[in-house]
Amino acid sequence: MLKKFTLQNFKNFKDEISIDFENIAGYQFSTDCITDRTISKMLIYGRNATGKTNLGKALIDICTTMFGGRRYADTGVFLNADSIDATATFSYEFKFGNYELVYRYARFSNQELRDEELLVDRKIIFSCDFEHNKFDFDNLEYINAETASVERYLQSRDIGDEDELQEPKLPFLRWLISNVALNNDSVLIKLADYTRRMRLITAENIMFRMPRRLNDTFYESLEDSNRLKNLEDFLNEMGVECRLILKKLPDGQRELYFGHEKLVPFYETASSGTLALVDLYRRLIPKSWDPSFIYLDEFDAFYHYEMAGKVIKFLKRRYQKCQIIMTSHNTGLMTNRLLRPDCLFVLSRAGTLTALCNATERELREGHNLEKMYISGEFDKYE
Amino acid sequence: MNNYRDEARKRSQSLLIVEGHHEKNKLFWLILKCFPEININMDEIWIYGTNIYQLYNDIVKEYGEEWAEGNEDIDLPFVISKKQYPDKLRYKEDFTNIVLVFDYERHDTYFSEEKILGMQRCFVDATDMGRLYINYPMIESYQHLCQLPDDDFAERKISVSLQPGKEYKALVERETILGSKVNFPHKIDDLLEKHFGVSDTEKRKKCCNKILEISSVSGMENIIDNALREVVAEHILPTAKYQLVDWVTKQEYIHTNLTYWKYIRGILQQVIYHNISKANRIQYGQYQIPENKYKEYFERLDLTEILKAQNLASKDIIKGFIWVLNTCIYFIAEYNFGLVTD
Repeated sequence: MLKKFTLQNFKNFKDEISIDFENIAGYQFSTDCITDRTISKMLIYGRNATGKTNLGKALIDICTTMFGGRRYADTGVFLNADSIDATATFSYEFKFGNYELVYRYARFSNQELRDEELLVDRKIIFSCDFEHNKFDFDNLEYINAETASVERYLQSRDIGDEDELQEPKLPFLRWLISNVALNNDSVLIKLADYTRRMRLITAENIMFRMPRRLNDTFYESLEDSNRLKNLEDFLNEMGVECRLILKKLPDGQRELYFGHEKLVPFYETASSGTLALVDLYRRLIPKSWDPSFIYLDEFDAFYHYEMAGKVIKFLKRRYQKCQIIMTSHNTGLMTNRLLRPDCLFVLSRAGTLTALCNATERELREGHNLEKMYISGEFDKYE
Repeated sequence: MNNYRDEARKRSQSLLIVEGHHEKNKLFWLILKCFPEININMDEIWIYGTNIYQLYNDIVKEYGEEWAEGNEDIDLPFVISKKQYPDKLRYKEDFTNIVLVFDYERHDTYFSEEKILGMQRCFVDATDMGRLYINYPMIESYQHLCQLPDDDFAERKISVSLQPGKEYKALVERETILGSKVNFPHKIDDLLEKHFGVSDTEKRKKCCNKILEISSVSGMENIIDNALREVVAEHILPTAKYQLVDWVTKQEYIHTNLTYWKYIRGILQQVIYHNISKANRIQYGQYQIPENKYKEYFERLDLTEILKAQNLASKDIIKGFIWVLNTCIYFIAEYNFGLVTD
């Protein structure tokens, strides 16, 4: 699991900001937000433009670093615009079984790393300083990766600059994972397995209708009547009462309909809330693998407050071990019935992220009305 | 000019609803001075004086007769502002603390067991609708300790026939060992104002504070001299200085190497412990609480049950009695029990 994430100089976060998933208080309620003494369900509030979405992009940055591609393509400004530092730094601390693993790196841009470093059990396994061409691979044997032919890695970097097909600075970790035969219980495999299952889900793309081809693969899966029924059940349970019908058109395309006396095309008529809910479903539920980490940005922007609560409860039941960070403006979710003061956070304009229990000197109890306290300014020093 | 800006919203306010006597403000002032961790700005407290039955009726006017039975969400800042300043309504969503402090006042002509119980049942959360603290028989009970610790506090009660309030106040004044400690800041203030003619309240406050921040005898004279130099005339400076040096020397705190506030903090903590034990005595019949169990016992207390017990004990107008108990001091422990245990 991810224990701690630290970030600096990325987008609006000029100063260091971190999320310590192990910083929990001893509450005896909503214990399903905690897994293995680590926060697994977190909800972040914050005024507009405090960086809730950027924080999600930052957290997921490790996926691009480790696996390449531009899954979360982002062309905007990368470094903080008020800082003179040349890089943004990312640090991820994990715990896999008895191993403690830290992977940290500094980036010039979305494409280029300045340095990267991997520590296992506080031992530096490797460190690469691409800027000054300094490399240390002395402890690869500690993770049974001593067979790695680092010379070939260094060579590949040299030709990389000329070959436009290659990324300019291939991170060593990415190279290592794909070029060395590792045991299944290797800590690197565990790391790769975790990061491969990290997801960022934002609400922004729901505003526009989904591209046709995405629908197609999704519709294809719905041809299985059990799957269609499952989606219908999901919508109904979350509060959208409807009946769904999938039709195959003469041209071979598939179309989803609401079942009424007449068929009503789904995507053209579904409400924003329904579309958002289906999008969440499509991205998570039918998958054959379970996510390790999900950043659900403004997940309930289009939901009725009751639906938002139902979705959180569902996510807690279905993805017990998954670390889920949600962001929201819906203060109705700020309640001890769903979450708890050490899992509810406020992100401030100054770039601080504070759990409610640390945002007041007052001892927060189960009976407290956190929503009312938030609105009346109990945590205003940290907003 | 654009008109983008709406009227600024002011949050994090505090409302203190009291009977209108200065005593109550004085205790809250002392609490906030000694426990600066409590996030309430003293200058931003809205103090509203009323009587508990008057307040009850004001709530009825807004929410109907049955308000105490239902789960009515009472907005006291709204109820009060509507009555006091109808042009400038205020709402509880801007208040982080709403505290009601009333005396038990069994002899009040409007006394009603039902109404007072209804109030106690509904007002349980200072961060939400408000928290009601009823003091038995009066606010002064927080000073009603004759020594520290005072085991006799377990059985301390007064006869229902002891009234009016003046009588009880006089009794406390005779018996208390806290009075002179608690009053010390006001005594200095009085001296500066009435004896040495310092009429500027702010200047007096500043001077007082400097004196109360002293935590040891050595160097004390110098600090007092410096503090006074800014407020009293040259020719009376020596007299004022020796008077204050004498007073401070006679106070216990100065010999414990604590500032006045830190010392009183410790005293208030003891007052809280005594009153937790006492409430436990009233509700569960047991006064002694194991050293490390105060928090646990405190969390089991129910002010409504205690009120019921008091109502029962004081029913008989001749033989009836009232347990001496101060509950408004619990505000500190409810805010954060850690403040009581340091």
